[in-house]
Amino acid sequence: MDYSKFISKMALNRKPSGISEMRTYLRNASPSLVWLASGVPNAQKFPYKEATFTLEDGKVITIKPDVMATCLQYGPTTGYPPLLNQLREMTFKIHSPPCWPTSDVIVTLGCQDGMAKAIEMILNPGDSILVEEPCYSDTLCILSAVTPNFLRVDADEYGMCPDALKRVLQETEKNNPDKMPKLMYLVPNASNPAGKTMNEERKRRIYALASEYDFIILEDDPYYHLQFGDPEKLAPSFLSLDTDGRVLRMDSFSKIVSAGLRVGYVTGPVQLLNRIVWHMQASVLCPPGITQVMISELLKEWGDEGFRNHITNLRNFYKSQRDVMLQAADTHLKGLCEWTVPDGGIFVWFKVLGVKDTENMIKQRAVKKDVMLVPGNNFMLDTTKPCQYMRAAYSNVTPEQIMVAFKNLAELIREEIALQDSLTTA
Amino acid sequence: MNYSRFLTRVSKNRQPSLIRELTNLLSDASPELVFMAGGLPNPQMFPFQAASVTLKDGRALTIHPDLMTDCLQYGPTPGYPPLVKQLKSLVEQLHSPPQWAESDLIVTAGSQDGLCKAIEMMVNPGDYFVTQEPCYTGTLSILNPFKPRYLPVKCDREGLNPTALREILSQWNPEEIRDVEDNVPKVLYINPNACNPTGVSVSEGRRREIYEIASAYNLIILEDDPYYFVQFEKPEDFPPSFLSMDTEGRVLRFDSFSKVLSSGIRIGFVTGPKPLVQRILLHKQVSILHASSLSQVMINELLRIWGIDGFLKHTQSVQEFYRKQRDSMMEAAERHLTGLCEWAVPTGGMFLWLKVPGVVDTWDMILERALKKDVILVPGKAFMCDPSSPCQYMRAAFSVVTPEKMDKGLMNLAELIREEITLQQT
Repeated sequence: MDYSKFISKMALNRKPSGISEMRTYLRNASPSLVWLASGVPNAQKFPYKEATFTLEDGKVITIKPDVMATCLQYGPTTGYPPLLNQLREMTFKIHSPPCWPTSDVIVTLGCQDGMAKAIEMILNPGDSILVEEPCYSDTLCILSAVTPNFLRVDADEYGMCPDALKRVLQETEKNNPDKMPKLMYLVPNASNPAGKTMNEERKRRIYALASEYDFIILEDDPYYHLQFGDPEKLAPSFLSLDTDGRVLRMDSFSKIVSAGLRVGYVTGPVQLLNRIVWHMQASVLCPPGITQVMISELLKEWGDEGFRNHITNLRNFYKSQRDVMLQAADTHLKGLCEWTVPDGGIFVWFKVLGVKDTENMIKQRAVKKDVMLVPGNNFMLDTTKPCQYMRAAYSNVTPEQIMVAFKNLAELIREEIALQDSLTTA
Repeated sequence: MNYSRFLTRVSKNRQPSLIRELTNLLSDASPELVFMAGGLPNPQMFPFQAASVTLKDGRALTIHPDLMTDCLQYGPTPGYPPLVKQLKSLVEQLHSPPQWAESDLIVTAGSQDGLCKAIEMMVNPGDYFVTQEPCYTGTLSILNPFKPRYLPVKCDREGLNPTALREILSQWNPEEIRDVEDNVPKVLYINPNACNPTGVSVSEGRRREIYEIASAYNLIILEDDPYYFVQFEKPEDFPPSFLSMDTEGRVLRFDSFSKVLSSGIRIGFVTGPKPLVQRILLHKQVSILHASSLSQVMINELLRIWGIDGFLKHTQSVQEFYRKQRDSMMEAAERHLTGLCEWAVPTGGMFLWLKVPGVVDTWDMILERALKKDVILVPGKAFMCDPSSPCQYMRAAFSVVTPEKMDKGLMNLAELIREEITLQQT
C-alpha cells in the first residue's frame, strides 16, 4: 500500500532522531568499540536499587538491581524489548493479522497517546475523517485542534451502519471529491459512550468500503477484554481482517491492569508506526521503564492461564456492576430515561426524555445532588447543540452508591423538567 | 502580557477535555459525591497490591495498598498533587520566581515532552525560531517538521552570545514587531547550563542581557535546563536561572530528573505563565493524559523521605561524580588531542565539544571511518540548524565511559583525525 497519501504535511517533514540512527552502527561493532556518542546519564547515580511488587494473590514480583538499572535508564522508544515480544505474541495469537510480516507493535504511554500521534500523523487541518456519533470525547478534543472536516456516519444499536457509510462516501465523492476521507475512527467494542459492539458482518462490510475508498481505519479498542459475550464467540477485530495493511489498532492495559501506569500499544503497518515512533522520539523519548517491566513481569508470572483467569474475573465483575446499574435504572429512572444494555465496557448511555439539554443540569446542578456524570453534548460533533443524553460509568462505584446516586439523579431530572417548564411558561 | 499572540492556530483550537477536568475535581470532592463521570477502572481489580522500593542508601520506599491505588489509577493531568506541591516548594526555594503568583507548574513525561508541547503550542509551520547554535538534537527533531526559519545564534566558550543575538534580530525594529503575530520571531530557545552539546554555561551578566533583548523584542524564552543539578560549581555560585529573573512572565522553564534520579522513569516538570502552561496541559490531557502515576509516586516518596536538603545533597554527589568523569576526560584529551582539537572545559553535565581545525567536516569521518577505529562520537552537524553546511565539531559524552576507555577512545580518535587530515590532503 502506498502510505504517502495518508501522511500529513507536518508528518512528512518528520525525520528520525539523528542519534538514534547511530545505533544502527552498533550492530556490527566490535567489543572494543568505545561509545562516546549517546548522552545517557550514568545509572550508577540513580538512587533506586531494586523493588518488589506484591500481587493480589500474594505472589511477589521482584525487580532485581540489574533489571532496575535497565528500567531506570532511557530505553528504546518502541518499548521494553521483553514486553514488546510478549505483546507481539499476544497480538498474533488473538488477531493473526494478515499483514503481520509488514506490521509491528509499539508501546505507547497509554493507547491514547498512540492515537493522538496517529491523528497528528495523518490529518492536515481540513482533512476529512469518518466518525460515528456519539464519539469518544477525548478523541473529539484531539481532533478539535486540527479542525478536520467531520463526515458523520449514522449508527444504530450495533454501531456504525455500513449502508450509511456507503451513502456518505458516495455523496462526498459526487459533491465534494476533494474532501474524500483518509481516515475513519471508531471504537468497535463496547463503544465509548454508547456501549455498542459491532458484529463481524458489519466489520467486514465496513472494511470492504475502507478498501474500496482507500482510507485508514483507527481501531480504538480499550474494552476488547471487557466484552460480556462468550469469549469464544467474539467478533474478529478489524486488525484480523486487515488484508491491505490499512488498520492501526490501539490496545490498552488501562481497564485491565492499570490506568495510571500509562502503558498501551499500537499495532499496524511498519511504515505508519515509524512516523509515530519518530514523533515519540521528539516528545516522550520512550515509555517509562519501570511500568513496562511491571507489566512484563506480571504477564510472565500469570502466563496464558493466569491472564485468562484475570480477564474472566474482570468480565464477571464489570458485568455484575452493569447489572446493578441497570437495576437501579429500572428502579428509579423508568419513565424518565431510556437506555440500551451495553454488552461490554463500563458505561451506560442514557437519554433523558423530558429534558431538552443535559449540559447545565449536570454541570450546574448535579453536584448539589451528590452525583456526577458526563453531559452527552461532549460526545457530539457540535457541542453547542442541545443534547438529551448523558453517560454514567459503573466501574468505580459500589452497588449501594449506584442506588443512592440514581435516586438522586431521578430527583435531579424531575427538578430539571420542572425548571424547564417554569422557564417555558414564564 | 498578551499570550494569545504566541499561540498557534492549532493550539488556540484546543478544547479542554471535560472528562479530564471532572476527574481533576475528584481530589477535592465531598465523600458523598457519587462519581460516575470518568471511566475509572475499579482498583479492586488491579493485580498489584503493594510494593517496596529499596534505595541504594539502604532505606526503602513503602508503597502500601492505598498508595498503590494512587500509582495504578488515572490521575490528574497537572500531576500527582503531593508531588506537584513538593516541586512547587523546590522551584520556589531555588528560583523565587518574580511572577510566582501568576505561574503554574505541571509534571510532564520527561522535560522533553513539555518542551515538545510548548513548541507545538507556539510554532506554526514556517515560523521564525531563535535558537542557540549548536542546538540539542532533540529540540531540532521537534522543530524540523515545522520547517522553521531558524535564526541561529552563535555560542562561544561562554554560551549564547548576546551580541550575536542582537545582530540576528537587528533586521527588525523591536518597537514595530513586539505586538505583531505573523512573520516575526517570537520564541527563543536556550540551554543555559552545561549546554548540550557544548558543555558550557551562560554567565549571569549574559543572561540578564539576553533577557533584556527578549523583553525588547517580546520573545518567549524556552529555558531548557536538564543539567541544572549537575553544574560543577558550588550551588551558591550557580548563575541565576532565567525563571528567577522573569519579571515579565516570558519564561517557560523545563526541569528534569533524568540526570539525577532516573531518565527511564520519565518525570520532568514545566514552570511558567499560567496561560501558556494551560495550553500545554490541554494537549497533555488528550495525549498521554498524565505522566505515569507510579513514576510520580516513586519520586514523591523519595523527595519526602530525603527532604529538599537530602535531595540537594544527592545532586551534589552526582555533580561530584560527573566532575571526576570530566577531569578524566580532560586528561585523556590533553594527552591525545592536543594539537589536533580545540575545546572549552565543560562546566557541568556530560559533554565535551571538540573542534577539529584540520578537518573540513567531521560527518563522514565519523559515520564512515570511526567504527573501524573503534570509537564513535556524534558529528557536530547533527546539532546545526542547517545540516548542509560543513561542520568541524563533534560531541563526546563522558557520562558512562571509564577513564581507561576514555583514554583508549581518544587515542583511537587521534589516529582517526590524523588519517582524516591525510585523506583530505590527497
